[in-house]
Amino acid sequence: MRITAKLYGTLSQQFPEYRHSEGIEVEIPDGATVNDLLALLEISESKGAVVAMEGRILKGDDTIRHGVPVQIFNAIHGG
Amino acid sequence: MKFIKVNMNKKTIGVEDVPEKYKGLGGRGLTSIMINQEVPPTCDPLGPDNKLIFAPGLLSGTPLPNTSRISIGAKSPLTGTIKESNSGGTVSAALGRLGITAIIIEGQAPEGDLSILVIDKAGNASLIPAQDYKGMRTYQFVEKMLEIYGKKTSVLSIGPAGESRLTAASIQSSDMDGHPCHAAARGGLGAVMGAKGLKALVVDQGGKSADAIADPKAFKEAGKIFTKAVKEHPEPGQLMPTLGTAALVAPLNSMGAFPCYNARKGVMDGWEQISGEAMAELIKERGGKTTHMGCAQCIIHCSNEFVDKEGNYVTGSLEYETIWAMGGMAAIADLDTIARLDFLCDDIGVDTMSTGVAVAVAMDAGYKEFGDGAGAIEMVKEIGTGTEFGKILGNGPVAVGKYFNHSRVPAVKGQAIAGYDPRAMRGNGVTFATSPMGADHTAGNLIGLCLQGKLDPMQAEGVVEISRDLQIAMAAFDCTGQCFMATVAAFDPEPGEAFRKVLSAKLGTELGPDDFPGAMGIRVLKAEREFNRKAGFTNQDDRLPKFFYEEPLPPHNTVFVISDEELDSVFDF
Repeated sequence: MRITAKLYGTLSQQFPEYRHSEGIEVEIPDGATVNDLLALLEISESKGAVVAMEGRILKGDDTIRHGVPVQIFNAIHGG
Repeated sequence: MKFIKVNMNKKTIGVEDVPEKYKGLGGRGLTSIMINQEVPPTCDPLGPDNKLIFAPGLLSGTPLPNTSRISIGAKSPLTGTIKESNSGGTVSAALGRLGITAIIIEGQAPEGDLSILVIDKAGNASLIPAQDYKGMRTYQFVEKMLEIYGKKTSVLSIGPAGESRLTAASIQSSDMDGHPCHAAARGGLGAVMGAKGLKALVVDQGGKSADAIADPKAFKEAGKIFTKAVKEHPEPGQLMPTLGTAALVAPLNSMGAFPCYNARKGVMDGWEQISGEAMAELIKERGGKTTHMGCAQCIIHCSNEFVDKEGNYVTGSLEYETIWAMGGMAAIADLDTIARLDFLCDDIGVDTMSTGVAVAVAMDAGYKEFGDGAGAIEMVKEIGTGTEFGKILGNGPVAVGKYFNHSRVPAVKGQAIAGYDPRAMRGNGVTFATSPMGADHTAGNLIGLCLQGKLDPMQAEGVVEISRDLQIAMAAFDCTGQCFMATVAAFDPEPGEAFRKVLSAKLGTELGPDDFPGAMGIRVLKAEREFNRKAGFTNQDDRLPKFFYEEPLPPHNTVFVISDEELDSVFDF
């Protein structure tokens, strides 16, 4: 299935063609998890990336649902 | 190690060695423990019995990077509690290099009298008449000070709001370029400074008499390890110099925890227009600075310089909490307006958070429409010109709520919350309710744990313990003068141990994990809680406003559910 991900913080830097208004389209297998998605995008663990969907922060083994856009951020401790 | 004591009644300045009972203390630990011992808890915060204390952190003035945060303490006129408000900039490192442990301002100048406390590079202090600068705004004032005393001068100053003793008045701190865009903003300490008759503290940055480091070799070795960890950490090392704290706008909205429209919603319409990403793009397009060294000895560079369409400086260090308060709470989806409001607050000398929330409360009460940027600018300008409404606004959101008989005021102990809604991020609700400072995100912010996937933001179970541990840790780190952005690296075990070794080497005392942050943080919190108790505060004051318990927050439609009994157990030590 194809999903759309929007990238925030430093995460778009590794995708020179990335346009925020469109996000990035990714083909993932049905039942793919957050960890699978991050691996497919080659976003390394050291980036401290976190994935949100429908207003919820997901865990690494949570499943990505078909047709639901996701947002991917860097973890941050406050301001 | 010396105290500079200034008596504003007599205009006398005394220098003394640090008394035994205060040795080993710095920053928030020193201000809070001294206030608890020396300030009558029921005194008028704007009267002669209050003391205003400036204390650099224990590591300020040492070669360790990111250690130029100054703690300023007093009894707060905004909350009636003890208050420590800290700020970045250059002054803390400057005082540390002079071996000054604290400056204590006592008494009160005669009505109408205004002075500047100047400290030269030999550490000599003098009071200079400041009548010529009466009512002057902070940007112009700092410019004048740098003309007189040279560019390598640090200035802490108040604007017209502080001189008028408005209870949301800030103390502005100059950055590396001499812009007063950093602030000890919370709790109305600018009003205490104004009431004392002190316009500014002006410090030469060329001091060369820092206190000795007890074990320089160990300090250097551990400092190297810790500094490397800061540089390599994805947050201070990469994210902060890219977007600064404005990076929080996106996750908070995506979680539905961004209080907006005076905390009626958790996601703002058009939030992408005021995100950190949008701000960086705009600044870049216009030739401003998306990354900038704001504080002395900083290697993180989370600051920025926001410029207008012509490329002219508008404001510096535009941060998440200001973007949230002005943009989110007042629902102004326009970065140019937010930047203008930030500048006005810094220039007039008021807390951007209290002011943004006060504007939002007025809008919620029907005074203006949400999103009315021009209206918000006019309102904030009134603080500077001193109109009756401006005075009410400059006294913060509770004063505005009273004026309009409007009960939806998101404040605890008189101080506005920060940009994390307690109904969608319950752990921060615990910190807001129980911090001895009033609602305060810096007292123990759980957002990092939420974004690391270690804590469900909606989780109620266990968050009392997490808030307690974080409040203890932050109380301890606030003693050191280290910036929170660097402290994030110390949350990992190895750099955490290196940081403890740095502090041990500075103090000449072997600190274990139980000593720091544990015992140090608990000692500070106990002093603060004791002062508040003596000032008349009880557990009943450790509560959120009623609407957080009753009014569901969209989109999750949840309320704050932590019981009073649980809140009362936060400081069960």
